[in-house]
Amino acid sequence: MKKILVIEDETLLLEAIRLKLNAAGYEVDVYSAAKEALAKLQNNELDPSAIWLDYYMGDMNGLEFLSEVKKLDKYKNIPVLVVSNSASEDKITALQSLGVEKYLLKADYKLEEIVNELKQVIEKDGK
Amino acid sequence: MRENEFRLDYFFNLSSDVMCVLNPQFIVTQVNLGFEQVLGFSLSELTGKSVLDYVHPEEKEITTKYLKDSSTSSDSIHFNNRMIAKDGSTKWFKWTVSNPNSSPYIFAVANDYTREQESTNLLIKRNREIAEDRAKTDALLSNIGDGVVGLSDTGVIQYFNESAEELLGYSEEEVINKLFFHTIPTVDEKGSPVDTNQLPIRNAMMTGRSSYARNLQFVKKDGKFLPVAITASTVKYLNTLMGGVVVFRDITKEKEIDRMKTEFISLASHQLRTPLSAMKWFSEMLLDGDIGELTEKQKEIVNNIYKSNERMIDLVNSLLNISRIESGRLMIDPKPTDLKELLTEVLTELKPKLDSKQLKLASTVHDNLGPITIDPKLVRHVYMNLLTNAIKYTPNGGQIIVAISRKGEEILSQVSDSGFGIPKSQQERVFQKFFRADNIKKVETDGTGLGLYLVNQVVAASGGKVWFESEQDKGTTFWFTLPINGSKPKEGEVSIDS
Repeated sequence: MKKILVIEDETLLLEAIRLKLNAAGYEVDVYSAAKEALAKLQNNELDPSAIWLDYYMGDMNGLEFLSEVKKLDKYKNIPVLVVSNSASEDKITALQSLGVEKYLLKADYKLEEIVNELKQVIEKDGK
Repeated sequence: MRENEFRLDYFFNLSSDVMCVLNPQFIVTQVNLGFEQVLGFSLSELTGKSVLDYVHPEEKEITTKYLKDSSTSSDSIHFNNRMIAKDGSTKWFKWTVSNPNSSPYIFAVANDYTREQESTNLLIKRNREIAEDRAKTDALLSNIGDGVVGLSDTGVIQYFNESAEELLGYSEEEVINKLFFHTIPTVDEKGSPVDTNQLPIRNAMMTGRSSYARNLQFVKKDGKFLPVAITASTVKYLNTLMGGVVVFRDITKEKEIDRMKTEFISLASHQLRTPLSAMKWFSEMLLDGDIGELTEKQKEIVNNIYKSNERMIDLVNSLLNISRIESGRLMIDPKPTDLKELLTEVLTELKPKLDSKQLKLASTVHDNLGPITIDPKLVRHVYMNLLTNAIKYTPNGGQIIVAISRKGEEILSQVSDSGFGIPKSQQERVFQKFFRADNIKKVETDGTGLGLYLVNQVVAASGGKVWFESEQDKGTTFWFTLPINGSKPKEGEVSIDS
């Protein structure tokens, strides 16, 4: 079963995402703090097929997190979906240059739609 | 003898001056026609009466003295006094009185200069009124909290009140007779000089109407900027431009409050988005049956929760857009855009809504439009809003027309519907924040009243204009223009709808 790493600092939303992804047939590792997730990735304790990332995560922002993740060989090409509350042209461009597949605004999308996007992104990756 | 008598008598009565002969007791023994005509009394009424009876009460004493003087003096006596005519009016007389040694009688001649005196009195009165008015105005102007600068028709400072001195740091002497534009430069919110043609006083002088600006600053004597609200008007007299008046108010505090309001809305909106997203997703999961199936009734209720939540999301998004535009943080990023493609995208997104209300859509786009350099996000927002409104406010089975054409140097877009229309009495409020017309509020409860406010701001920022025509129960047509040469780019931190 494919595993998704979800990092979202709002626990309310984290819960909703976990439920939905489970219902869609995915295993989910949830983290509300980016640093913790990063450490686990660096220690090879996780094995996600894709990352669902918020942007503002309290201890770190998405850009910083991703630059660190991309340094790890194993996750150099991991598909990433950024699902955030706000967006700006600069942020999006910067993230895309780091290989982010899609940038979605939370309030604009149904959970179902985001999960579909995730599916597409994973399928594309062929893993 | 008789001939001489006749001649004298003739002259006596020909003269328009007043002439009379008094006895030593000042009783009138003889008067000429002039006397009768000026004072209005007939000879029979006057004869036997003391001349003093016709003298103004305040001058009886002095007149008596002069008359007595004439008896003791060998020269004629000259004096002025006031007489009271039969109709009660006051007459001003310049007397020459003589009592020759050879006669007991007093001979008196007077010239009526009432008209001249009245003119002089009026002039004095008017001058006093002017002086009083002047004093009042000066007092008013010096105590007013707003700065008042009076300009000549060539823009030279002629008046500079106390508040202007305080607010700008210049004394009146320092600025009097200097050119306003040079002495007190006007800059924009960022501190860059404002083109002379954009100055409110220039506008006022060109159009003849008062001009108002809220987003400019004056450069004070110490070089610092003072944010001001300016009202400039022209001073005209009988259609000739005499000069101008610039009245300004320090709005530093107001600007600060504005900034705080915008920041607050931005902050609150961001914080609001999270729980709104949570509610959206959880409701969605219940409806999709991810956590087990709901009964029909339960689905209905959860659906209502979902819809209410969607409305709030709409409101928060609109508020965020507004705070972005008003804070000046909205960026305008023009790129070559194919309007036909843009419109098609929007129409495709809206198709389900169109179909659900069985609305007929007709759209025409000018053939050789070519790409226009505009910010696609902003223009998309405008089409989306106008079309969503057309759909929302047209009853089932109605018709919507969209057209994009080229009109000279502009691209003209039109969105017409056969819907509820906007009542004439409310049409001027349509672009106001939170305004929704009464006739649609009852029929369609969903709506923030912010859509058209945003459209107006966005179109203006893109270099165009938006306007409409509407008839209640017949339909509404909105038009907006975009410059063919494209929108000017604007640096900013955020884009719309993000």
